[in-house]
Amino acid sequence: MSNPTTAASSGAAQLPTLRKAVVVGGNRIPFARTGGAYAHSSNQDMLTAALDGLVARFGLAGEEIGEVAAGAVLKHSRDFNLTREAVLGSALAATTPAYDLQQACATGLETVLGLSNKIKLGQIDSAIAGGVDSASDAPIAVSEGLRAILLDLNRAKTTGQKLKILSRIRPKDLSPDAPSTGEPRTGLSMGEHQALTTAQWKISREAQDELALASHKNLAAAYGRNFFDDLVTPFRGLSKDSNLRGDSTLEKLASLKPVFGKSLGAAATMTAGNSTPLTDGASTVLLASEEWAAARDLPILADVVDGEAAAVDFVHGKDGLLMAPAFAVPRLLARNGLTLADIDYFEIHEAFAGTVLSTLAAWEDEEFGKTRLGLDGAFGTVDRSKLNVNGSSLAAGHPFAATGGRLVATLAKMLHERGQVDGRPARGLISVCAAGGQGVVAILEAR
Amino acid sequence: MSEDTQLNEMPSLSKLYVNAAATAARSRLMRSEPVVALPARAVEVRGVRADLAKVTEFAHLMGEPARDVLPSGYLHAFAFPVAMSVMVQEDFPLPLLGMIHLRNQVEHFAPVLFTDELSVRAWARDLTGHRSGTQVQLVAEIHNADGTELLWRGVSTYLAKGVFLPGLDKPGATAGRTDFVPPVPTAQWRLGVDTGRAYAAVSGDFNPIHLSVLSAKALGLRRSIAHGMYAAARVLATVPPSKPDAFSWDISFDSPIFLPATVSLEVLDRRADDGVWLGSEFTAWNAHTARRYFSGSVAAGCP
Repeated sequence: MSNPTTAASSGAAQLPTLRKAVVVGGNRIPFARTGGAYAHSSNQDMLTAALDGLVARFGLAGEEIGEVAAGAVLKHSRDFNLTREAVLGSALAATTPAYDLQQACATGLETVLGLSNKIKLGQIDSAIAGGVDSASDAPIAVSEGLRAILLDLNRAKTTGQKLKILSRIRPKDLSPDAPSTGEPRTGLSMGEHQALTTAQWKISREAQDELALASHKNLAAAYGRNFFDDLVTPFRGLSKDSNLRGDSTLEKLASLKPVFGKSLGAAATMTAGNSTPLTDGASTVLLASEEWAAARDLPILADVVDGEAAAVDFVHGKDGLLMAPAFAVPRLLARNGLTLADIDYFEIHEAFAGTVLSTLAAWEDEEFGKTRLGLDGAFGTVDRSKLNVNGSSLAAGHPFAATGGRLVATLAKMLHERGQVDGRPARGLISVCAAGGQGVVAILEAR
Repeated sequence: MSEDTQLNEMPSLSKLYVNAAATAARSRLMRSEPVVALPARAVEVRGVRADLAKVTEFAHLMGEPARDVLPSGYLHAFAFPVAMSVMVQEDFPLPLLGMIHLRNQVEHFAPVLFTDELSVRAWARDLTGHRSGTQVQLVAEIHNADGTELLWRGVSTYLAKGVFLPGLDKPGATAGRTDFVPPVPTAQWRLGVDTGRAYAAVSGDFNPIHLSVLSAKALGLRRSIAHGMYAAARVLATVPPSKPDAFSWDISFDSPIFLPATVSLEVLDRRADDGVWLGSEFTAWNAHTARRYFSGSVAAGCP
């Protein structure tokens, strides 16, 4: 395995001077718990709704956008051109190119980074990044056995051949194959993986419940002061994230039974309250060059400064499945000559409360800093008053590919409102973990 | 106009079809003199809302994203039971069953959301002769709940084939069928035999001529046919992809789409110099026989 320090030391000094990519704004639909308000809405419906709202908010009807990129983690094969189809169904000019991207839960953030890079390079002047996911309208495939038989059947020429092939069908072939959040290489669900990591870092049940409660309180407060008015467009009668429980209490959270890591016995701490539920939703972010935004008299909320991806070797337990951001953030900050103390807002995606807390614990751990990050000691401490201050996935829910867009638009607006800190633009860090042991992180700065 | 008939709730289309069959049988037995005037009453229902599940199914069947704004075709389906209620009245002069759909003219004055409380009002007008029977127009209007704002108006022209009422003018001799030369298609629809049943399920329009070969034969057709509004709604699903607040469309049907069918379609867009969509013309024909099925136009704004 490569030593993370090599990446950290490959300095930013050689980077050519690029023009800036800025966040103009965002739009998402409220996130809904699976089987709820969007139970019958397809990915296409939701992505189109998020896009429609963005087009309306920024007067983009008839505009040819440089490129649109979005994706879905749970995707029907018929939706191979999901994003392009959503563009064609929108008021954007039909000459707007689009592509689908998939990097599990990091999909949304990766679309922002990829498109920002194209803007910085001058390849495009404007872009829409986004993501959508429906756990309600998930694709269900025929079993592998039946699939093989049907494909053979398609190739058969004579009736005799066809009958012979059909006779191979067994009852077990008829049970459908539904998607799961299990890791193909370990057979463990994401929650079971995190339960191991949570136990490894000795994260207490109370600490997880407190983080979950803060997420609900912060998100409710943000809705209360109308923070999301220009970030969210109602859909299907929903105007707030349906998972939000602003009146939750530590007592209520403490009363829930563990759902993950039950084999750990007394060490089982992860409940439905401190884990994100399956969620449906979609988000979009409008990115641009400064010139493009200025020419249209559009706001500029933040610069997309830099991004970094990392992956961990989780398969045999060297690192936790969702711990890649613990490596990506130190590399990203080092490249930009920053430390945790230089960050004013942390948006650390709450896949599980345990994920956030394990990451923070790793950064505070001297041993981890020395042996895994190649530093002199611990990486540092995150000031908890700067963490997920407007709530995060535990409260809002987490429609996999849509979370990146939610984070970027939310953080960009927070940074813009904050403006300057100590004579420099307010700075925010986004961290998203993803299936397959991956993570994508990014830095945004206020405008 | 004499006093309107107020309905307490949206009538059930299946009951209306049963009533229509009963009325048809009764009027054949009872009527000594044909009725040659339309009932003057309008039928109205207030305080009704769209069924979101049906809206979603409707949009998905048409291949368009299900939005909070109701699809144009859905609004027709929504208002249809009220229009049917006009046609099943005792003194309505034409038999409802077996009527042929000739034309729809629709105006959208403002977007209608699935959450909107609505009132629907329908009446009949323009009973006139046609070379092969008698035609009538059914006007359906959708207003906001208190009836102060007109949101949508649809005018459907139907033909009762073979019904000739005394005293009604017939237009001059058979209007010469213009020769139709199929253009290069821009799209093709493959409609299975279940197209009528699928549309019936989302629209509630279980007219037997659309459901199966047998039920269609019972009404004198050789096979089942696609709903005219299915064709219109499917065109409208993508023309234009994102609707202006106000727009209008018009479709005329030349021949029934017997199922199964392969429909060729040409859509021509008109745009302003800055690319803004102004309108589209569309034509559809049988891909094998080149016989025209329907043609029409969609335009931004209302005339």
